[in-house]
Amino acid sequence: MKKDQKNTPCRVLVIDDEAPFTRMLKMNLEDGGDYCVEVVNESPKACAVARSFKPDIILLDVVMPEADGGDVATRIREHPATAGIPIIFVSAMVSRKESGAGLYQSGGEHFLAKPVSRKVLTDSISEVLGGKH
Amino acid sequence: MLGKQLEATEGEPYKVHFVTEIKALQELDIASDCDALLVDYISFSNEFESILGWLKREKVRPAILGIFQRQEDLSDAADFVSALDEFVLLDSMRSAECLLRIARTIERCERERALVMDQNLLQSLLESIPDAVYFKDDKSRFMRVSKAMLLKYGKDFESIRGMTDFDLFTDEHARPAYEDEMEIMRTGKAIVGKLEKETLKSGKVKWVNTTKVPLSDERGRIIGTLGISRDISDLQEAQENLRAERNLFRSILNNLPDRIYVKDLQGQYLRANPSQIQFLGAPSEKAVIGTTMFDHLKDEASRRAFAIEAQIIREIKPLLNKEYSHLKRNGESVWYLTSKVPFFDEAGELVGTIGISRDITFQKQTELRLREAIQTLEETKLQMIEVEKFNTIGRMAAGIAHEVKNPLAVVSLGLEFLEDKLKAEAKLSELVIDMKTAIEKANTIIFDLMDYSASREDSMVAQDINTQIKRILKLMQHNFEKGGVMVCPEFSEEALWVEMEPSRMEQVFMNLFLNALAVMPRGGDLTVRTRAERLKQAGANVSAKITERFRIGDHLAIIEIEDSGSGIDPAHADKIFDPFFSTRSTEDGTGLGLSVTRNIVEMHRGLITLENRLDQRGACASLIFPITQKS
Repeated sequence: MKKDQKNTPCRVLVIDDEAPFTRMLKMNLEDGGDYCVEVVNESPKACAVARSFKPDIILLDVVMPEADGGDVATRIREHPATAGIPIIFVSAMVSRKESGAGLYQSGGEHFLAKPVSRKVLTDSISEVLGGKH
Repeated sequence: MLGKQLEATEGEPYKVHFVTEIKALQELDIASDCDALLVDYISFSNEFESILGWLKREKVRPAILGIFQRQEDLSDAADFVSALDEFVLLDSMRSAECLLRIARTIERCERERALVMDQNLLQSLLESIPDAVYFKDDKSRFMRVSKAMLLKYGKDFESIRGMTDFDLFTDEHARPAYEDEMEIMRTGKAIVGKLEKETLKSGKVKWVNTTKVPLSDERGRIIGTLGISRDISDLQEAQENLRAERNLFRSILNNLPDRIYVKDLQGQYLRANPSQIQFLGAPSEKAVIGTTMFDHLKDEASRRAFAIEAQIIREIKPLLNKEYSHLKRNGESVWYLTSKVPFFDEAGELVGTIGISRDITFQKQTELRLREAIQTLEETKLQMIEVEKFNTIGRMAAGIAHEVKNPLAVVSLGLEFLEDKLKAEAKLSELVIDMKTAIEKANTIIFDLMDYSASREDSMVAQDINTQIKRILKLMQHNFEKGGVMVCPEFSEEALWVEMEPSRMEQVFMNLFLNALAVMPRGGDLTVRTRAERLKQAGANVSAKITERFRIGDHLAIIEIEDSGSGIDPAHADKIFDPFFSTRSTEDGTGLGLSVTRNIVEMHRGLITLENRLDQRGACASLIFPITQKS
């Protein structure tokens, strides 16, 4: 779904140690002006950035050095300022079956498999946000 | 004158030599020519001494008579007369009287000579014969014994005379010997060649062979006994040893569990021990002697034994410790360790063969079991190496997935961005599509790799494999139709329950059907056949490659998928299940399909083989899974 021009762009925080990926993701999402993307490549800084950036949604890598996706999610949800922000986990470690379905749920969490197309990405964000944006 | 009368005697005329000189006398051959020597006292009185001396040296002594004129002459020649056998007196005796006297003297001297000869013979006998010879009187007392006997019992002639057996031996021998002699005396019947055991007073035992005969006087009255005993202790001992030896030999033959047999040059039994008789199935040794092995067992073993024995006889070389198998009448297989040697008689002549065969079936079976165990161990080792390989690949796959997918994600998003920007430029957007396809391909490889090493801890359920296959066939119906492939299903009537992880099993058949489609680009036939079978004998009725994976008695589900494609190149037969091996161009797949398939099959405790069909009209994939109880 296309964003309404009048609406403020959707704020997306991408937490992933792969800088080229985050750069590419930011470029793609911001290209249409519908999204405002902030990137964190060093997971320990993620919580602070989330609090200051106040994203509508967070795309969170699972496998990262230092604090992994699970740790980061826990801390974000612990903090009252960021607790309500929906999170989509983005992982390279998913099987063929899981990846074929686009956004999928496992253990109450949202998942997306890398590599991911722009369409799947935007559709998933819309789905999770329930048409808020 | 006397000489003339002698010559003129009627009947047996005497031949007379007249000798006037002593020299001429010595030239005569006294032994053959002379019965009597008549010496004229007047003429030879002085030379008589030398005549006697000469006669002593001769072997045979003739009768010596002196010729005297008168009675008075005799007293003058007392010495001369005492050396004579007889004399004649020419004056007082008539010539007939003289002749008679001469004849009687000759006779008497001959008798005496014979007596002396007899005595000498007896003496020689008693002196030199090595046997005990003994003359006993009517009270069984020794009268005369041989020298050998004296030596044997340590007596001299004087001390033994008058003794009886009771003085030399214990009662054990003396009593029956005495009774024997009394019996001989009573009946006059001899005892010939009786074996006697003599126990001496010293306790020493001798064995003798004795002959005893009655002893008669000149009037035929029995006056005692004559006995001769030959010491056969050595012979007896030898016989005793022989008997012991024979006994030992028989014990060995009869009690050894090994088969022992002696055969002649024609392969006919000379001896066979009970084990061999039993082996031949004969009732007794008698039924075996003179027969050949062929007469009892008309089989390969008999022919072989025959050939071996012929070779031993031909080459005179033993055959040692050879192992042979033998099929018993009841179908049981036994093993023997056999040695055969040439058999020579005492003269060193080759007369046959001697053989010994030991049942080593148990050892052989143990050896076989050991060998099987080693093989199983070897296979287990290989399987473990395989498992370890999977685990390693699994760890690698996880790493690779993460490391490769991130850059793929970058490139793919980048391409999408560019795609938007380059929409106007048809040529470039085509390029972008190619690049996206390439990324898709790379992504698929990563997924294949992850599948290959997929976790084996998925939950298993019992499902009918027929239903599973039918479902996949239906799913792929469109593919088959499009590819011009005719599916010929031949499913078993009964359900084949197999423990499986359904989605993985699905992948197995999906892969195999896709492979079949790929090898039949211009269409063809695909036969899917399933059946249940019970493993009767390892490798017999399902696949020669089955060894330890399935046990005899296992119920198995067998699935055969036959295509009518080009078949498998023998050069590739070993490699078809290797990861990344593919005969198709890389556009078609990753080459992981079959190795993943095999992995999944093995995960289900199954076996997959891919071989050319016997009719050479394509390939056949055979899958075997253990059948489980319906849960």
